[in-house]
Amino acid sequence: MSSAAAANLRVPYLSAAEDLRGNAEQWQAYQSEGHCVVLAGPGSGKTKTLTIKMARMLTEDVRPPRGIACITYSSECAGELRRRLEQLGIRESRNAFIGTIHSFCLKHVVMPYGRLAGLDLGGRLAVAVPSEQDRIFEEVFPEVYGENAPPYGWRTGFDKYRRTHLDRTAANWRGDDGDLAQLIEKYESRLHQKGLIDFDDMMLLGLRLIEENVWVRQCLQARFPILVVDEYQDLGLPLHHIVLSLCFKSGMRLFAVGDPDQSIYGFAGAIPDLLSSLSEKPGVETVRLQFNYRSGQKIIDASEVALGEPRGYRSSQRHAGTIDFYECPDGLQQQAARICNEIIPAALARRDGRDLGDIAVLYLDKNDGDVIEEAVRAAGMKFIRVDKGGPYAKTPLTRWLEDCAAWCAGGWKTGSPRLSALIRTWEGFNASVRTESELYKNRLSLVRFLFGHRQPSSAGAWLNDAYGSLLEGTIKREPTLRDESVALANLRRVCGNEGKLRELTVAGLGGQGGSPDHLNLITLHSAKGLEFDVVCMMGMEQGRIPSWAAKTKDSKREPRRLFYVGLMRARHEVHMTYSGFTVNKYGKRFYNGASEFILEVQTRLKDSS
Amino acid sequence: MRIARIQIENFRNFHKLDVGLGENAVVVGENKVGKSNLLFALRLLMDPSLPDTARHLKEEDFWDGLPRPLTKDDVISIAVDFADFEDDERFLAVLGEFLISTEPMVARLTYVFGPIDVVDEEEVKESNYDFFIYGGDKSDTRIGGEFRRRIPLDLLPALRDAEGDLANWRRSPLRPLLDEVSMRIDRSELATIAENISDATEALTGTTEVTALAAEITERIEDMVGEAHALDMSLGLSPTEPDRLIRALRLFIDDGKRGVGDASLGSANLLYLALKALELEQLVTKGKRDHTFLAIEEPEAHLHPHLQRLVYRDFLRRRVHQEGEGEEPRAATSILMTTHSPHIVSVSPLKSLVVLRTAAGEDSSEGVSTASLELEEEEREDLERYLDVSRGEMLFAKGVILVEGEAETYLIPALAKLLGHDLDELGVTVCSVAGTNFVPYVKLLGPECLNVPFAVLTDFDPQDGGKNLGEARILKLAEIVVPKKKLAGKDNPERIASARGSGLFLNEHTLEVDLFKCGRHKSMCSTLSELTEYKKAAERAEAWKKEPATLEIERFLKDIEQIGKGRFAQRLASKMKGDPCPAYIKEAFDYVIGRCS
Repeated sequence: MSSAAAANLRVPYLSAAEDLRGNAEQWQAYQSEGHCVVLAGPGSGKTKTLTIKMARMLTEDVRPPRGIACITYSSECAGELRRRLEQLGIRESRNAFIGTIHSFCLKHVVMPYGRLAGLDLGGRLAVAVPSEQDRIFEEVFPEVYGENAPPYGWRTGFDKYRRTHLDRTAANWRGDDGDLAQLIEKYESRLHQKGLIDFDDMMLLGLRLIEENVWVRQCLQARFPILVVDEYQDLGLPLHHIVLSLCFKSGMRLFAVGDPDQSIYGFAGAIPDLLSSLSEKPGVETVRLQFNYRSGQKIIDASEVALGEPRGYRSSQRHAGTIDFYECPDGLQQQAARICNEIIPAALARRDGRDLGDIAVLYLDKNDGDVIEEAVRAAGMKFIRVDKGGPYAKTPLTRWLEDCAAWCAGGWKTGSPRLSALIRTWEGFNASVRTESELYKNRLSLVRFLFGHRQPSSAGAWLNDAYGSLLEGTIKREPTLRDESVALANLRRVCGNEGKLRELTVAGLGGQGGSPDHLNLITLHSAKGLEFDVVCMMGMEQGRIPSWAAKTKDSKREPRRLFYVGLMRARHEVHMTYSGFTVNKYGKRFYNGASEFILEVQTRLKDSS
Repeated sequence: MRIARIQIENFRNFHKLDVGLGENAVVVGENKVGKSNLLFALRLLMDPSLPDTARHLKEEDFWDGLPRPLTKDDVISIAVDFADFEDDERFLAVLGEFLISTEPMVARLTYVFGPIDVVDEEEVKESNYDFFIYGGDKSDTRIGGEFRRRIPLDLLPALRDAEGDLANWRRSPLRPLLDEVSMRIDRSELATIAENISDATEALTGTTEVTALAAEITERIEDMVGEAHALDMSLGLSPTEPDRLIRALRLFIDDGKRGVGDASLGSANLLYLALKALELEQLVTKGKRDHTFLAIEEPEAHLHPHLQRLVYRDFLRRRVHQEGEGEEPRAATSILMTTHSPHIVSVSPLKSLVVLRTAAGEDSSEGVSTASLELEEEEREDLERYLDVSRGEMLFAKGVILVEGEAETYLIPALAKLLGHDLDELGVTVCSVAGTNFVPYVKLLGPECLNVPFAVLTDFDPQDGGKNLGEARILKLAEIVVPKKKLAGKDNPERIASARGSGLFLNEHTLEVDLFKCGRHKSMCSTLSELTEYKKAAERAEAWKKEPATLEIERFLKDIEQIGKGRFAQRLASKMKGDPCPAYIKEAFDYVIGRCS
């Protein structure tokens, strides 16, 4: 091998690392040798720091067959990390795991060690589909709460209790809410009796196996001497306990990145302080990334006011940024109309080369999403919508289908996404294929499908072909894909003749991960980690953010952080709309004015000008 | 790390083989018993150089005892258990997900060949047959072959062409070693050397004589084929580019006088083995792999017995040496070899022996091993010494008669012959333990270990005061070989009686006395008077011959000892006629012969 070729193989991250050298904190994280916690503000280059550091550790600190496990919050985040790592020459492989805590626990803890550790779930692990979970939940609910209580609206509290009360031998398991604890126990045992597990089970069983068995920790540490965690603030107690067990009880090395200020999943069990508590442990090097490479200083200052805590982040940008407010007394529809007809056209005109893809409308929930979507349609703009009410759920399978669509729609010319990555994921889905020749057949049918579908077509037809020639057998065979069958059926429905996305093309499906000429419609929660030139925040009413139920300073913390996260998505412009009232489900209006966070920001802006 | 157990089902000679292994394995057995098939089974699982087409077996690879046509339930499976890896995180990273037990850690990899995913019994077609490999007990999850690159099995086949491989650069085991050296050597130093060689070459080729020769050759070629086809030819020593210089190095023997091509078959093999061993060690040091299982088929080929012993003592004992010195790293190579050579068996560590043999009453081979043999240190040394001196004879035997001393080794085969048994032909070995410590031998041959039919013949040895040594000896051995429930609730005489059922036979006095009393007094007395140097002893012998009842036992034994028990027995063996035989010996013959036919 020529030395130039060898250099190409080895060091893509070394040149990338030169970018970190100018920032003392990023460089410190890059140079860390032991446990390292990186507290990273918005836009501080945390993903860049994390991926370059991971590439370095994979090259310099571990040697196959040992490797690194990188855990992050969602399959979306995992996809982004994979993409960024690939640019640094790192691909997911046997010695580089990149995925969610759920898939880590399932693939690397429960499946390999569960049976030997005495976890008897009857044969192969099958994941319950949401309807099965709901049915079991509804079955056991009356056994605890009686026949007359309606089993609705309990799921969030149930999930949170389950994720935050980890030690079931502790007094507070039954002490805090005995009925809920009993409900959880009944639900789990019914689920397991049927040979099923659910999403949280993966994580909770994984944690249990790790905590209770020295040999499991020993095996994991041998396999993955380094654990990388991204979005630590969102990952909750189960992951925190896994980290404590693997990194502080056994000898795994930790590289954790996160921002407590961006912890917005408290309702799901996330606890912002966990990361800071790690940083106080002896032997942990803590690095704070202070530079903001994204937003103008004005936007940063306003955000810190909304957050209620000074952070002292410094912008690297020359522009200060703008923040504007729009009162729309007629209500949400008016807000949506102004955004589409006034704010967006003006923003597009203000800067050369700015496109719809550089703009995002952020809102609180699915209803707001419906309203803005209608207005955007009326205005004739292309858009992508990401929220729970989005046209389909983003799961590993639907994410992969988007990638396949992107490949078919022209990605094959440029090698993005890579065919090999698509094949690897496909093989992962087909986990129970046992022989080489079967594996080969599977690979062949994917490649045939992809190569045969490179001409433009509708997403619906494309998905039908994919289902018929590719997915049906796999979905029906693989127990770990059971829950994906629902997501897939739904995607096919919305792209079908009667569906909302009936006009979507393959290119459009491929562009659902983000595209330069599509406006972004996203909930505040889903916007985390993203950045846009222009951000519109819609429906910023007192009583919604913070919600009417949040009355104390403490309970307003999380809504503050959510508001903060929204502001910090913007590079140049923030536009906030409000009507000054909220509407309940019977149509009654409550006039409480604009969000108190808006008022705080306005006051600050006035003072400084 | 080591292979701790191999289980094979329905593959070639093996119906159900289940054998435990120690650090290394030396596999012995008769021809066609499946020694090579055992190694091939391991290759199916672990050899990265074996192509997948070879992993796809054929119908004839199924055990012959399976009725044809094969059914959907007939599968070939080869399961290998690995142990002693938990201290090394590299092995744990490869094997941790395939554990079948945690304390101590044991990991299992299984190769399966058979009809896969057959729904309809009638519809089993050839195309349904395929192989897959799984880890742990999860037969529903396939694993790829990556582990093969980390802990591979390399095979040195029986009929390898060592000379040819050494001479051919592409196949030479020297090549990877030199390549490794050339990576480390200083470039500028190499360039200087290259220049010097270039100068020297020019000086040599520049001599008038050489130049003239080159010209002559060129001219001759031109005469043959014309100028257009002439070759661009020069004489020289070796390529003088720095990069190719190292590769031009060749091995020489006999003080550099002869090339390796001229080496004897034996020396070439010796060299080959040494280079291969070095290469494997380097692969591990460089992190290319974590451990090598080296399978050597019949390594005795072309090696002088003396060399066999030296070379394989080094191969098989290396690891033991390193551990003895304390801090040294573990040997990164485990050896698995098949052999016919008693010389190799005789130097093998005791716990590494694996014996393959035809299973009784079945058309298949079974395997036994010494891996789980639990011995005191002195016992192990005793046995290894015995195996060394006897060239491992006991391991090749179908049955064994354990006796106390040299006298029995002459007399027992002779008595057997007179009773119509040819022990050699039957494959029964008479083994002297040189004393009365039968324990290690019994452990080795017993059902827990080699499970070879054996009998112990030992003397009652009466002592003063009505005591004796023999009974205690039998009782101790009975604890080892007689099933517990047969001993339960019995007193000592009953136990001694039931010990016969397990092959432990006690006589009434000592061999010579029992022989005398069974009716062999005439030949014994004649032998005694013939061999003794003492006139009185000869006279006593004559008297006992006439009046056997007057035998003075003490005196008789002393007289024999003066001649030497061995010498006496040797002469007596050739004098015995007819079939009188002490009952305990007769019973022992029936016991062993009945069990090994």
